[in-house]
Amino acid sequence: MIRRLGDHATAALPIAWLTVLFLVPIGFAVVFSFGHAGFGSVRLGFTLDNYADALSSLYLQTFLRTIVFAVGCSALCILLGFPVAYAIGRRGGRFARVALALIVVPYLASFLVKVMAWQVLLSRGGPLDALAGLVGGRVDLLDSPVAVVIGTVYVYLPIAVIAMTIVLQRIPPELLQASRDLGASPRTTFLRVTLPLARPGIATAALLTAVPMLGELVIPQLLGGGKGLLMGQAIATQYGQSQNYALGSAMVVLLVLAVGVLVAILVRLTRGFDRVAA
Amino acid sequence: MIGPRRRRAFAAVLWAWTAIVLVFLYAPIATSVVYAFNQGVEGRQTSAFTGWTAQWFGAAFADDSLQQGAVTSVVAAFWTALVSVIVGFALGFALVRHPSRMVRRVLAAFTYALLVVPETVIGVALLLMYSETHIPLGLATLVAGHSPLSISVVALVIRARLLTLDPYLEEASADLGAGRLRTLVSIVLPQLGPSLAAAALLAYTFSFDDVVISNFLSTAQLSTLPVYLYGSLQYGPSPKVYAATAMLFAVSLLLVAIAAVVLRAASRRGRGAGVRELVPGGTA
Repeated sequence: MIRRLGDHATAALPIAWLTVLFLVPIGFAVVFSFGHAGFGSVRLGFTLDNYADALSSLYLQTFLRTIVFAVGCSALCILLGFPVAYAIGRRGGRFARVALALIVVPYLASFLVKVMAWQVLLSRGGPLDALAGLVGGRVDLLDSPVAVVIGTVYVYLPIAVIAMTIVLQRIPPELLQASRDLGASPRTTFLRVTLPLARPGIATAALLTAVPMLGELVIPQLLGGGKGLLMGQAIATQYGQSQNYALGSAMVVLLVLAVGVLVAILVRLTRGFDRVAA
Repeated sequence: MIGPRRRRAFAAVLWAWTAIVLVFLYAPIATSVVYAFNQGVEGRQTSAFTGWTAQWFGAAFADDSLQQGAVTSVVAAFWTALVSVIVGFALGFALVRHPSRMVRRVLAAFTYALLVVPETVIGVALLLMYSETHIPLGLATLVAGHSPLSISVVALVIRARLLTLDPYLEEASADLGAGRLRTLVSIVLPQLGPSLAAAALLAYTFSFDDVVISNFLSTAQLSTLPVYLYGSLQYGPSPKVYAATAMLFAVSLLLVAIAAVVLRAASRRGRGAGVRELVPGGTA
């Protein structure tokens, strides 16, 4: 009896806490997304006007741009990060620990320090511009979509490397040896053995980068200069200056749906990650 | 067959790329720190480095807004860590030990969802709920807003440690007549101690560094340091903002280093605990 009580308490406390602070708020957004919009207030009811607005050409473009941005930046993180994960995970030897720690430090480093740096680095007259000047080039990228992509890839690259390294580390060497013994070339071994076994790591890297990127707010705000607006900014504007909670809520619901779709696609592919990571 | 020369060349390319990526990861952080010492022009940060000075650190300390923001951040992070350790411990424990597979799955879904859902969603949804239920924004609402993410981080650290505990110790305790509570207090908790401490530090760091959720839940009277810095960075900031951010960075680095040392001491088997546990996978 007491045993049961204890079990229920450990499960009930977090479920109750997270329901109130996570599910219920999103529930509010769902209800408000169907309400009638007004400045700073919403009359509850049932209308699809907000969704029509949120999917009208201007915001639809923003929505689609955000999805392309998140998927593209996530793919960049994986492409740039995979060789690093491979080096650390498969060829790291006794340096693997140190190398992984070197990736972890920037991951946990203060977020604003990381974004702020690019304001200096990418602006005209900055250090990179000075360097480029030596060979007659220019760097004047601040306040552009390129700056947002660079900043985003920079912030998310470490976690992508970490997720892939963990999986690559755990591939049993016997399997690779067997593939070699059976006459497979290194390329074949990589494509037919290593890469499929690394799949959960790659999928986890995609999950941990693409999904949060869908709501990215601070990076585009600090590096994008108001050009190439993203969903996170559009939502913040509706809840802020525009005081249109109904439209903002409809956008939140659309964003949550996009998150759900992406998670549904990727979670299947991460299967097996827990086994190697535990 | 591939020759040893080609093999070495391949390894060289691989490590060269890794070195490039490490430079890519560290150079910007170094830039931020260096520019905290930049003189700037007429009290503004400039993209060209105009000369060394340490005056901005003093100026940052003397700035009232920065001071208040720092105090708010410290207090909010403290309460967030406390709440997250309590709820996160329960969650981590239930993730591993709850008898019902279904409950474990629901809890795992919660935990991983919190780790990936964009903070913007949580921030605006909480703002909406608070404003519609007429709960005034303040320290409590800020801490509550920071807690979900920190809870899932704590839970994953605890879960990882629980999975490596020796089950015979608990069985021995039960065989010797200890009740479940007694076993929890004198056998399980002492083994979890270092993980709990490290989890608390991580929760503190995540809260202390948070921009997005705090940005939505801050008021004119109550604003955290990162929110104030974020605001300043949008409009050609003074170098003292860089100095303050560099100090923020130093503090979080220190906390993480302590957490890493504690965790490392905890995992006697020498497994890379810590950040590994922050990386979710399928359901357990």
